[in-house]
Amino acid sequence: MNNYRQSSSNTPRASRWSRRDFLIRSSLAGAGMLSLPALLAACGDDDGGSSSDTSGGGGGSSLVFDNWPAYIDEETVANFIAATGIDLKYLETYNDNNEYFAKVQPSLSKGNKIDADILAPTYWMAARYVSLGWAQKLPIASIPNKANLRSDLVGPNWDPNGEYSLPWQTGTAGIAYNISATGREVKSVADLFAPEFKGRVGMLTEMRDTIGLILMGEGIDPSKLSSFDDAAPAFEKLAKANADGQIRQFTGNDYMDDLDSGNFAVCVGWSGDVLQLAKDNPDVRFVIPEEGGTSWYDSMIWVTGSENSDAVAQWMNYVYDPENAAKIALGSGYMTPVTGVREVLEAMGGEEAEMANNQLLFPDDETLSRLRVFASLSEEEEAKFDEEFSKITGA
Amino acid sequence: MGLGVLLLLGTGVILLATEITSGILAYIVGVLMAVALVGYVASIVRGTPETRRSVAPYALLKPGMLWLSIFFLAPLWALFVMSLSSKESRFDFFPSFTWEWENYQEAFTRFRPQFVRSFTYAGIATVLTILIGFPIAYVIAFRGGKYRMVLLGLVVIPFFTSYLIRTLAWTTLMNDNGPVMNTLETLRLVTVFEWLQIVDNGRLLSTPAAVIGGLTYNFLPFMILPIYVSLEKIDTRLVDAAMDLYSSASGAFRKVVLPLAIPGIFAGSLLVFIPASGDFVNAQFLGGPNTTMIGNSIQDQYLKQLNYPVASAMSFVLMIIITVGVLVYSKFMGTEELA
Repeated sequence: MNNYRQSSSNTPRASRWSRRDFLIRSSLAGAGMLSLPALLAACGDDDGGSSSDTSGGGGGSSLVFDNWPAYIDEETVANFIAATGIDLKYLETYNDNNEYFAKVQPSLSKGNKIDADILAPTYWMAARYVSLGWAQKLPIASIPNKANLRSDLVGPNWDPNGEYSLPWQTGTAGIAYNISATGREVKSVADLFAPEFKGRVGMLTEMRDTIGLILMGEGIDPSKLSSFDDAAPAFEKLAKANADGQIRQFTGNDYMDDLDSGNFAVCVGWSGDVLQLAKDNPDVRFVIPEEGGTSWYDSMIWVTGSENSDAVAQWMNYVYDPENAAKIALGSGYMTPVTGVREVLEAMGGEEAEMANNQLLFPDDETLSRLRVFASLSEEEEAKFDEEFSKITGA
Repeated sequence: MGLGVLLLLGTGVILLATEITSGILAYIVGVLMAVALVGYVASIVRGTPETRRSVAPYALLKPGMLWLSIFFLAPLWALFVMSLSSKESRFDFFPSFTWEWENYQEAFTRFRPQFVRSFTYAGIATVLTILIGFPIAYVIAFRGGKYRMVLLGLVVIPFFTSYLIRTLAWTTLMNDNGPVMNTLETLRLVTVFEWLQIVDNGRLLSTPAAVIGGLTYNFLPFMILPIYVSLEKIDTRLVDAAMDLYSSASGAFRKVVLPLAIPGIFAGSLLVFIPASGDFVNAQFLGGPNTTMIGNSIQDQYLKQLNYPVASAMSFVLMIIITVGVLVYSKFMGTEELA
């Protein structure tokens, strides 16, 4: 698709992520989303044949990674292709967990292949793929760099041996704001409900981040929910704000456009996105609210039907190398799951060394103590949460 | 005989396409269809000119009928079956048929606001397209002169850009800090527009007005073209004759031009109202969470909640309401040409 990026490796850092580039790309992603998903799925296999002439080595095998937008630096894909000769197509059409799931579900539930080999769903969605049997066992033996991973991110309770999923990156949901639209700094979850921002507040369709953040604002710990009733106050608060016209839109990853243009004065956002956006637009800021924020991680899974075991192993091994992981962390602004990245950055000096002390990339214990992971929900509970959330989002 | 074969083939195609029959039964249906077709062709080839003449019209109907069976009736049937199915578990992707009438109840009760909103927005947009489109069509038809084709071309030109791109362009133009808002602010018109309820709290987007505006803009050509066609056929000497008989200009317009333009307005309002009430693109990009239309809800139920049965029931309810509405409308203002 048009989102395929393949930049030369000597692009200056400042122009790494131009705003116009982003707007165009996300509009196209929007357009893609609206066309019939079945059609998209049906024409998936066509991409395989076009091997690009940049592939240097022998290889000839190909790999498609469909990831969230603004989630990698500009060099890694090209470097990987040059180093391995694997024809990697890095797509950015993953805008929303549920939306993507619905798009691939007709194929995967029938045991058919989809156009992507690797996906990076958020942990709870990765758990769903694994439990439905739509993820393949990873070629762990060929990924020696797995040893570099933070141990707390490998082998979650839904994949205890870490056989089906390995982390891509982890980050924080907090409050993003455009100071030219707010006219003041924003510090608290309560600001999302401030009357002065009526009709200019954005919320994520990602239920766990939106509800999690509101729960923190209400003084309820989202990591300790035993039933829907525990979370009900947040749902009520959101429903009321929505009925009052406080909320402008519920969005997926495409909230970045509205934040950039100032349509959203304040919104729930993801740390790294906002850091990247801020490089072009200094008015855009991100804060972990004083009540605390949510933390999440996205997991790479290898979907069923894909046969590129070797390419998958090479890709994962490549991104878990601290040098490469450092590039990705710098470019995307998220926390890396790879240990040793901080040391790499410190050794680089200058601007990079400064990033090594950025709380959003390398949070200290004080910051970590303010972050919560949303409680894991049983299938019925999750259905209840999703249904109630969908009633509010209106569609 | 021709009709019999036609119906048999149509039913056979539907049965096979919806997988109602499978295995040995599908085999039998297939063989039956083949036998009927062969017999039909044989009777045409060997028959007398009279039989040929009586059978030929059905043969001419065949391609259209097969097309309809495969691409309209079979999906419609599948949709109907799905709307009465239920899911065993949340991730049951193949709901089973259980006469689940509750789906319709849910579609009616839970999504009533979205239904009401869709028809209201589509209705307002239809009226607006008539008010804007009629004068344009009138000018092109009667005052266009040699520029007629150029002017018509200008009406059609927006179609050269994708529907989505045009709607997305509106979001850029109507941003809170975009050119339209800035112009309004410079001209000090914001309060006027706020009073008109077009601008809400300093923003144009994410308001009902933006969604209706988007619908009106996107469907305007569908109104102009049929009205133009009906106006263009009018013999202007009829107006002269009315004037000769001491009619005023406005009287001639009301009693001669307008009645003759009714078929165009009727066709145009169907072409605008029906797609507009099922539209979800405008509400998605120009609206907010309180302006969602039924199309958005169906899309959400289908593609995010994976609730195929209820989404199918909603689609059916939408179809039924539109069909009934159109029938009533055509009784009320339809003409022999269209009803």
